Order: sequence, then C-alpha cells, then structure tokens
Amino acid sequence: MNIINNLELNIFKSFKEGDELAFKYFYEKYFTKIKAFSIQFVYDADEAENIAQESFINLWQNRENIESSNGIQSYLYTFTKSKCLNMIRHNKVKDKFKNDLLNQKERLLDIEILNSFQFDTLELSELEILINKSINELPPKTREVFIKKRFENKKNSEIAEEMGITVKAVEAHMTKALKVLKNKLSDYIFLAAIFICNN
Amino acid sequence: MISELIYKYLANEATEEEVLLVFEWIETSKKNKKQFITLKQAWAISAFSGNIWSNKPKELQKIVQKKIITFFKYAAILLVLIALGKSIFFGDENKQSSKEIVLELSNGNIEYITKDNQRNILNAKGDLIARKYAAEIVYQGKVADEKVNYNTLKIPYGKRYKITLSDGTVVTLNSGTTLKYPEQFGINGKRKVYLTGEAFFDVAKDKQHPFIVHSDEVAIEVLGTKFNVTAYPDDNTLNSVLIEGSIRMYENENPSNNIILAPDEKVIWKNNSKKFSKQTVDSGFYTAWIKGELAFKDTPFITITKIIERAYDVTIINDNTDLAHQNFTGTINIKESSVENILELLKRDTPFKYSRKLNTITITNQ
Repeated sequence: MNIINNLELNIFKSFKEGDELAFKYFYEKYFTKIKAFSIQFVYDADEAENIAQESFINLWQNRENIESSNGIQSYLYTFTKSKCLNMIRHNKVKDKFKNDLLNQKERLLDIEILNSFQFDTLELSELEILINKSINELPPKTREVFIKKRFENKKNSEIAEEMGITVKAVEAHMTKALKVLKNKLSDYIFLAAIFICNN
Repeated sequence: MISELIYKYLANEATEEEVLLVFEWIETSKKNKKQFITLKQAWAISAFSGNIWSNKPKELQKIVQKKIITFFKYAAILLVLIALGKSIFFGDENKQSSKEIVLELSNGNIEYITKDNQRNILNAKGDLIARKYAAEIVYQGKVADEKVNYNTLKIPYGKRYKITLSDGTVVTLNSGTTLKYPEQFGINGKRKVYLTGEAFFDVAKDKQHPFIVHSDEVAIEVLGTKFNVTAYPDDNTLNSVLIEGSIRMYENENPSNNIILAPDEKVIWKNNSKKFSKQTVDSGFYTAWIKGELAFKDTPFITITKIIERAYDVTIINDNTDLAHQNFTGTINIKESSVENILELLKRDTPFKYSRKLNTITITNQ
C-alpha cells in the first residue's frame, strides 16, 4: 500500500470518529466533482451546489454506515443521482428549450443516463481508470485542451489565448478528444449494459 | 460533424437547432443512443478529477474552505407561521368573492383557473411568461427587465394551489390566500412578494437578491430556504415557527424592531403592543396543511372554526358558550372528512347541537 492510501486510510478513520477536519479533507476532494456531476443533469449551478451540499450533509450524518474511503465517493454519487432523478421527475428542472418536446426528450434521456449509473465502488474506479487512460493516450495538444476544458473548467477563449491557438482550433481538439473517447469507451458500453441486465 | 455537435451539447454551448440535431442522431439507432449515454456518463464523472484537484494552487483551496462555512450556514430548512392583522396591500377583502382561483395579470386581464383548462399565459408583449395547470402554475425564468410587473393570485376558501415563481421559488398557497408577485423578478434589488393568508415557501437560493415576504405590519427576510407564513386578515396576532436555520423578521415601520429566529422557536407578534416574544414549540405540527391535513394542538374552538371555514368554504355561527372556551387536539385529513365528520368528532368530547342550511352551520347548546 502506498503512502497516499495510508494517509487517506488514517483520515478515513478520523472521519468515522467524527473529526470535522477529516470531513473537510473529503469535502475538498469531492465537492467540485459532485457539483459538476449534478450540473450535467439539473443545468443550474446554484441548484447543483445545493444538491452537492445536501449530499455532504447526508454523508456526515451517515458516516457510521460507510465502510471504506472509496465508499465515500460512491455514497456521494448515489445520493446525488437520486436527488437529480427526483428533481427531473418532479419537474423542478427548468425548461432549457422553446421546443417542449425537446425538453421532454432531454429529461427522459437524462433519467435513463442517471439510472444507468450503478455507482458501486468498483464501477466508479473502473470508469475513472478507463477515462484517465483514454485521456492520457490522446495526442499532447488535444489532451491539453481537454484537461483545461473539462478539469479546469476554462472557457474556449481562455484556452485559445493560453495556448496561442484559435477558438476554432480549441473546438476541433475537443471534437477529436470526444471521438477518441467515444471509441475507447464503446467496449465499456457493452460491459455496462451486461452489468445492468444482471441486476 | 456529429461529434462536434455532441461536444457542444455536453459543454452546454449548442443552440436549440443543434440540440435538435443531436437528438435526431440519438434516435436514429440503439447503438447511437448507447454511445451517447456512455459519453455523457464519462463527461459527467470526468470533471475535476481528484488528482488534478489536489495540485490546485492555494487560492482555490481557500474558496473551498469558504464554501464549507456557507454550507453549514445555509444547509437549513425553516418554517415560519404568521397570523397578521388586516391587509394594506389588497384592500378590504375579508371574504373572497370568486369561487374559483383567480389570476390577475399586470395588464389587468383576469384568468380563472378551473380543473380542466391548461394554457399558456402571455404578457402584454405577447411573450410566454407562464404555463397554467389545474393544480399549479409555473412561471418561466427569462432575462429580467428593469421594470417589474406584478401579478396577483387569489385562492378562494376550500381550495389550495401551487405556484413556481420565475426564480424557481415554489410557493404552496392555502385556502383564502392572496399572493402578489412579479411575473419576472428584476435584475437588481430584492425579491419582494406580498401575502395575505397562508403559504409555504421553498425559496430558490440567490444571495445577491434576498427574498422578502411582506405582510401588513411585519416583513420576513430570507436568503433561500423553506418556511411557512400565515397572515390571514381576520387573525389578530402573528405567530411564526422556525424548523431549522435562521431568519430575520422586522416591523415594516421600524426595521430596528426585529428578531432572529432559532430552530423550534415560535415568535408571537401582537399588533397592539408591537412586540415580539418567543417560546419553544414542536414545529412539525405547523405544516400539516401542505399534506392536506388540519392539525390542532390545544387549539381553542374559535380558532378551529376559522380554520374549518377556510378549508371547507362554510360559515360557522357558534351560539354555544361552553364550546367557545374549549381547546382541542387532533389531526384531520381535509379530503377524507366532511365538516359534519369533524363536528361529530368534537361532539363526542363536548356535547352540542348543530344544524346546516346551505353553507351556514349554526352550533347551539345541547
């Protein structure tokens, strides 16, 4: 076991014992991720922040039931998933488009996507490893653009300025990155489908 | 081509036309749909990976620490129950005349909300501002104008209704309630609404624009949380109960006369003395009406008759002097019970006679 995992194991123990500093460690580690996840389904930064905060409150209240430090992430995602589902089902997500049918379609699809997440610790780490691996295999410039966009949440114009390329080029790199991801992850789709059928 | 559109859609940069194309592509085959689902899954969980996050410079860590503080500050549900003196906002309307729910638009148009009409509400310029359904009305969040136009919703006795305001705030309105609210909240300043009657507010969070519920003598200021307000014109004292969180209430004419509520505290405001006083209560009891229940706890019969009048749209005349001073405790489901059921129940405790002519019930001695 490496040093980081050892450290996290200790923090996790303190967290279980009700140490607020340990809680803060996990909060810092996952808050933005959880918020960014819910934004993809509720399309509203404030609402996503509310959901993320609620998930952490619940994590804190249920810390005794969590068995490993990996379980924290899976707990947060599972809670957030059901919150997002509730919001969509109870029409709390605001209409994005003028076309009502399109709003409906997006909601139905989002429900399907949310339901296809299992969020057990295994699935989470597998998907993450797969994504990280795929990103690492991207051509250097494309990878740089993707990381700036997706992990650092920068605007296309900011990325273009930083890298001395045009906004069009930034878009082209993102498109390319997505194409690669689509292909690399297509095997995973198959796995995920089987996994869901077995449940 | 489609990869570019999908990326734009996931990054929330696509136009409506482009989104339509993406959905067309998704619907073309099961394979496409599966691919899209996986991509969105990856997109949704790939943001801000933990490893990269821990390498962030110090200033970002600071922001996170700040977030923790606000998270404990605002992670709260609160409930306020108020009963106020007569309204200055809506004129003298002790009994509401219409039997239907009435919506008054800023251009003076009047809409009646009945069971089976569902329609779009347009403003003077012809823009869609809200969708109206049988049990609720939903306002659309659009870019706000400088000018704020107010609409008014009037709920008659015997009915309840729900409204979603343009900022996403959800308000459940009890029987005999009038709410005045902007069809679109302004860009600047506070979010103000005016209430007589009783309502449960689920306020959308927006720290830049505090949400204020105005009533006759007192105002409530919140930053985004849940609370209940009762401000019926025929009740003379004000009661407010808080479940969780914190809220500030102040006298309209003298804002320095204010009080901050703590969880499970009830504040009583008297119109005569213009003073707030506090006591500890069981707060869960005050939101029963949202679930369609009437809840009483050592409630005087006089108060109970007022609540029944609102819930069932009847008039109760009490000529029984013993009963007037009696207190009752219990919970009643509005839909599953009739006024007669409730009176029969009360009769078992304190015997009395009653007769009903149309919607007027007269109670006499045994």
